[in-house]
Amino acid sequence: MDPSAPPPTVNSMQSQSARYGVRHGPKVFWLWTAMAVGAIAFSGLLVLAVLAMSGYPALGILHRWIIGAAGNRFNSAASMADACPLLLTGLAAGVAFRSGVLNIGAQGQFLLGALVSVALTTRFIFPGPPWCVMLGAMAAACVAGGMWALLASVLERYRGVPVVLSTILLNFVALYLVRAALHGPLQAADTSAPQSPQLKVIYWLPILITNTDFHLGIPLAFAVAVALAVVLGRTNFGFELLITGLNPRVARLVGMPVARRQFAIMFLSGCCAGLGGAVQVLGVTHFMLGNFGNYGYTGIAVALLGRLNPIGIAVAAVFFGMLDTGSRFVEESSLALPHQMANVVKGVIILAMLVASAWMMRRGSRDRSLEAGENQNTPDQQQVQS
Amino acid sequence: MLSIENISKAFGGVQALNNVSLAVAPGSVQGILGENGAGKTTLMNILFGLIRPDRGQIRLNGQSVVVRSPRVAQQLGIGMVHQHFKLAPALSVTDNLALAVGRNFVLLHRASFRDRIAALARSLHWAVDPDSVVGQLNVGQQQRVEIIKALLGGGKILILDEPTAVLTPQEVDELIPAVRSLARAGITVIFISHKLSEVNRMCDRIAVLRRGELVFAGPMGELSAEEITHRMLGAPSALSSLGASSASPGLVRLHLSRVCCPLPGTRKYKPLLDNIELSVRAGEIVGIAGVEGNGQTTLIDAILGSLPISSGVITLDGSDLSHLVNFRRARKFACIPEDRQGQGLVLSLSLTANLMLRSYRNPEFMRLGLRHVTAWRSRAAMLVRSFDIRCASVEVPIQFLSGGNQQKALIARELYGNPPVILAINPTRGLDIGATAFVLQQLTAARQRGAAVLLIHSDLDELLAISDRVMVMYAGRLLPTNWPAVDRAAIGRMMMGITPQAA
Repeated sequence: MDPSAPPPTVNSMQSQSARYGVRHGPKVFWLWTAMAVGAIAFSGLLVLAVLAMSGYPALGILHRWIIGAAGNRFNSAASMADACPLLLTGLAAGVAFRSGVLNIGAQGQFLLGALVSVALTTRFIFPGPPWCVMLGAMAAACVAGGMWALLASVLERYRGVPVVLSTILLNFVALYLVRAALHGPLQAADTSAPQSPQLKVIYWLPILITNTDFHLGIPLAFAVAVALAVVLGRTNFGFELLITGLNPRVARLVGMPVARRQFAIMFLSGCCAGLGGAVQVLGVTHFMLGNFGNYGYTGIAVALLGRLNPIGIAVAAVFFGMLDTGSRFVEESSLALPHQMANVVKGVIILAMLVASAWMMRRGSRDRSLEAGENQNTPDQQQVQS
Repeated sequence: MLSIENISKAFGGVQALNNVSLAVAPGSVQGILGENGAGKTTLMNILFGLIRPDRGQIRLNGQSVVVRSPRVAQQLGIGMVHQHFKLAPALSVTDNLALAVGRNFVLLHRASFRDRIAALARSLHWAVDPDSVVGQLNVGQQQRVEIIKALLGGGKILILDEPTAVLTPQEVDELIPAVRSLARAGITVIFISHKLSEVNRMCDRIAVLRRGELVFAGPMGELSAEEITHRMLGAPSALSSLGASSASPGLVRLHLSRVCCPLPGTRKYKPLLDNIELSVRAGEIVGIAGVEGNGQTTLIDAILGSLPISSGVITLDGSDLSHLVNFRRARKFACIPEDRQGQGLVLSLSLTANLMLRSYRNPEFMRLGLRHVTAWRSRAAMLVRSFDIRCASVEVPIQFLSGGNQQKALIARELYGNPPVILAINPTRGLDIGATAFVLQQLTAARQRGAAVLLIHSDLDELLAISDRVMVMYAGRLLPTNWPAVDRAAIGRMMMGITPQAA
């Protein structure tokens, strides 16, 4: 209160955090990293312990898992290919959550993106060179995912439907749209299953490292992550998204177009997920099934693990990709471990992370309230708080 | 018999209550009067166990009691009705009350419970139907339900925290006999208000708090209305160094003509803004005095466009603002909002980011489409120097700054670059004397530079010290005064709703 008193500040935090957008000091960054590593180690140990108790050779499984995830060129590339759709859906969730918009609909936006790209590379091919067709398919998938997400935002703005709710429900709409399309106009001629025809090889995303799964979509996804990091962290647009997310009342006061920015957040988020769907079709599966994975939902976990930061999300996605690839490798070996084990590990990690971050948040809010007691000591505010 | 003895409570460095003693007789209605921040609510929160006092004790029928929590308060027979009701609108009155008294795993006999409520309502001569759905009751009736809730556990002492703030005049008229019948039933009612007229009609005894001290306690009628107002507001303090300007104001910048604004979603309640006529000219400070909650924040929301008005015109420099999109409209005003931390600053971001929230769009802060980091930092450093913001570095998250420095940062951001129109609401709230003087100086300096300033302030002394014209806001209406031709007490009376003589 007394302006002549030395300002109460945390000295360790200032010198290093020399960027405006640092919401938390480096201390918190390291805490978070330590927490993530700790949660991963804890979950790994827990799962291994359970495996050992159930009579599996735990250390052997761990060894094979690591080899399977990154033991050689081929396995590493497979891990990256697995990480690719997760990275894009993770970015989708991260972009939205960071700005306070709870887009749970990456799954639906991902599916719609995949559907559009399949349609544009099998049934409705526009005349042109293959790279043009692929680019067009990916762009269309982006727009489709973005519009699908925007629908939820529009519903919230004009009809008061919470985005959390509408995005979850739109996931189901998207799922059945996909099934209907795969039973109807997009169904392969030689089957009765809900399945699209396979893409011609000229429309497959090129493999960049021969004899591996490392396709063009992987560097593309990482490029998107870097681009988002720049846009969100260093442009006015990103600044407005950040303020809109952190405190929309301030954003309104200083004249930011809050509603437009909220639409933009959803569109951008949906774009990422839609692109993820297209990349998965063009780069990996080369056709589409009625059951096309749960990348959208897993992306939420990836985003949380990556702390909603594009680069963090990239790291988290690679980790999840390695988990998946490793678990398939273990499954294929003679150790008779079910593939679902990877999902168990992921679940335990997320739970451990949530517990740890809830603990951190409680600590943080306690610190803040102490801070408040020290600084904002007006009776009025105290009354309001109580 | 409830007696409060030598209660003191400090929040940080501010003494919210200083050695307050008060005895309340059973079956009486005790009014507690005071300005915002006088300590009324703190005192009641101590009685209800929400806040622990630093010193002093509470005696109930001669016995010293320690009210550790609201639950303990209820066991002691102390009930409190807050301004904002805690009722489930979709449930019936009976079910709401059952929720309040019901314990886990203990079955409640619904029919007899319902009869108990009906009996209690009858004994108070209140028309409360236990079967009606709470959401369909009007606010006054919902308040009755809250009161019954507070009394159901056998409460003998009832605290009403500004109960009339949410009511229409008609509902206030109905509340008064209801409270009187409570007192006849032997219940002690403590009635908090800053509206003298209501206290006058309702209470047996009054106590007046001013800046945490009890300045009067005695029977109603012992003091005249003027004297009570005088004690509430205290003697005018010397803020003379600031002074009103002698410069003649220029053209009308901001003009509001017959602006009305209903309470959202309904026409039944009193309007939030009632036929507002207001103009602010360049080079003058127009002060709006008034007790909080009489429509001041609504007025700002209406000007900024965040709340739609139902009729009237708001113009800036002669052009109608309703044609502008909200965000473009907000850019036309510098605004020092009431809620500094909630509406003015992004607490988790650095001082630099907070200082740049107005000017980041300016091309000089961009390079190749990206943020010009050094330009940002040097602008922030410049503002820190010229507004004397005490901080270790411009990169510190602003939550680590003291309240006064946060407010300086906010003012630096809003007032830098000579904005033509400034809106300020309670700009010195929670600040100490030095910071307060700084803020007031900044506003007068802005006026000297030709800005049109609309100052809404609940501190009358500061308001009168720097305003060129003063208006009073009461119950959504804006009443002009002839300040400085009328005296301070007359303005104080208008704030309390007495004799709104357009002097």
